[in-house]
Amino acid sequence: MNRLHDYAALAGPEVIGQLHRLAEKLGARRFVHINSTRSGGGVAEILSRAVPLLNQLGLETNWEVIYGDQEFFEVTKAFHNALQGFKVNLPQVMLDHYREVNRENARRFTWEADFVLVHDPQPACLIEEMRGRAKCWIWRCHIDVSRPNPQVWRFLRDVVRQYDASVFSMSQFAQNLPHPQYLIRPSIDPFSEKNRDLTPEEIQAVLDRLEIKRDKPIILQVSRFDSFKDPVGVIQAFRLVRRHAPCKLVLAGGEATDDPEGPRILAEVMEAANGEPDIQVLLLPSDAHHEVNALQRAADIIVQKSTREGFGLTVTEAMWKGKPVIGGAAGGIVLQLQDYNTGFLVHSPEGCAFRIRYLLHRPELARRMGQLAREFVRQHFLITRHIRDYLTLVTLVDNPGSRIIEL
Amino acid sequence: MGNISDQVAKDPFWFHECFLMLMPIGRKAVNFRELLEAIRSLDESVLYYHLIQSRLAPSPPAVEYPNDLAYWAANALQDSKLAEKLGSFDPFEYENMGQVRQEVVDILEDYIMDLSYIPEARSGFELHFCKASTVVVRSEINAQTLEELCDALGKVGLDSLYYHFFEARWRLGVRKADDLSYWIENNFDLPDLVRAIRDMDIYFYSLKEIRETLMSVIQQHMGEICEQTP
Repeated sequence: MNRLHDYAALAGPEVIGQLHRLAEKLGARRFVHINSTRSGGGVAEILSRAVPLLNQLGLETNWEVIYGDQEFFEVTKAFHNALQGFKVNLPQVMLDHYREVNRENARRFTWEADFVLVHDPQPACLIEEMRGRAKCWIWRCHIDVSRPNPQVWRFLRDVVRQYDASVFSMSQFAQNLPHPQYLIRPSIDPFSEKNRDLTPEEIQAVLDRLEIKRDKPIILQVSRFDSFKDPVGVIQAFRLVRRHAPCKLVLAGGEATDDPEGPRILAEVMEAANGEPDIQVLLLPSDAHHEVNALQRAADIIVQKSTREGFGLTVTEAMWKGKPVIGGAAGGIVLQLQDYNTGFLVHSPEGCAFRIRYLLHRPELARRMGQLAREFVRQHFLITRHIRDYLTLVTLVDNPGSRIIEL
Repeated sequence: MGNISDQVAKDPFWFHECFLMLMPIGRKAVNFRELLEAIRSLDESVLYYHLIQSRLAPSPPAVEYPNDLAYWAANALQDSKLAEKLGSFDPFEYENMGQVRQEVVDILEDYIMDLSYIPEARSGFELHFCKASTVVVRSEINAQTLEELCDALGKVGLDSLYYHFFEARWRLGVRKADDLSYWIENNFDLPDLVRAIRDMDIYFYSLKEIRETLMSVIQQHMGEICEQTP
């Protein structure tokens, strides 16, 4: 694990000094994060890096994980889909099971804290059993809830309204809630296995192991096999490009223990890619960070053609590697990609194909775009900024009613 | 002016750091008419965020407009004429946010009179209104001489420049006053430098440009005591 001062070389020494000053003003506080998986997905990745750094700053920070059976994760996956706008049917028995699993976890927990950050809907109900264990409860929603299914949101809202504050990744996700709502953008850790610099030999070794030849430009999408990531749309775009320009497509998807829908979407992708030798579909384990890093660095163009997106950390990762990125105009991707500068936004498989061709034919523009993208991430989306936001957030929540706090 | 760079101020200038936490309010505008209605009715803190504070929020590198409203008009409504009008507007010409709001409303009302259709934001580009809370901390950087000030300007974060130039205008309650020129005025006999700093087109510049321009202005008045930031 890297020490905080290691980040000064990338984020700037003044940023590290700010973190120490903010933490010092907070004093000795206990901070607990709770989510539903130790690995797989952006939340677990952020926590695995942020929690040690918060401890280095003197905040006693613990990361707790709730456990659930398959039925529980089917309910929470249905929540996830419904909050992103899909119609789902959630009978009362499933909602009861969701509450019961939260109750079981609450009985198991022994922690007490000053601040608790509960990530996403899976552990949200813990507050009903554990309110007195922490001074401030904050619900951290990483999902695109700009158009939630009303029935599911009403259920969840009754839980969330018990919190002292909520945090969303984008302003369009804010809801009608009786407490302050804040905005924190996610981040990447430049020293994590997924983002650290790799040597050309390390990159080539991964490509050899995954049997990917660099005989044509590589178009890459890295994401879970999830319908909102539109992997089938990426294949459609690739087929359109292939009529005009030689290239290959790599679709690399990780597994997450809390996503039971993955196998079905993967089967759809395999069917769509059938018969096309220049499409490679890779099902990677959830801890294949090194492989993802190498793939991103080997790619010529990186695509994230999501139709719904919380923030789109795969876009951030690709930008950090100085790659030109084409993303669906959804959620946080809109914040990260600005046409002709930090990337391209698209609205359809045809648009995606158009921009892939555009970049394949303009390598100098693609290179410049990648440089701008990396600098944009350096300024706004590194983990040091995220840690600063956590410290600012708890300072504000600790002083309710104040809009300007001079420490 | 030969030894002015060595003159020591009565009180040091302490740079402060300013951490902004955005607070989305759950309301949006998808077209020009909704923008006008929101500007008329929303809390002043929301207008303050979109006109002033938003320059501390992440923004793409090539944004030429000085506030969110002008950028939204150009980027989402794709209405360059409206973007020009909102981009030329300077809230620092007004005494308080009530006057600022009225001026923005006037601009929008005048504009709507000539419109043959109501421009609509493309999907995904709606304007989502926010306000912000801030935490301010005294940094470890201070200056007692103008030479130290120049040195410090190259070291402090852009959030410090925001705090001392933007927040200061409203905090001090004095038009055209920022913390830095206020400190120079009270500690050194350099009225030309004070005036030059107050004449900077602060609202138009990005924070990075403010740093560069400020260094340049001080350098012009003080000779070689400052080194230009890279």
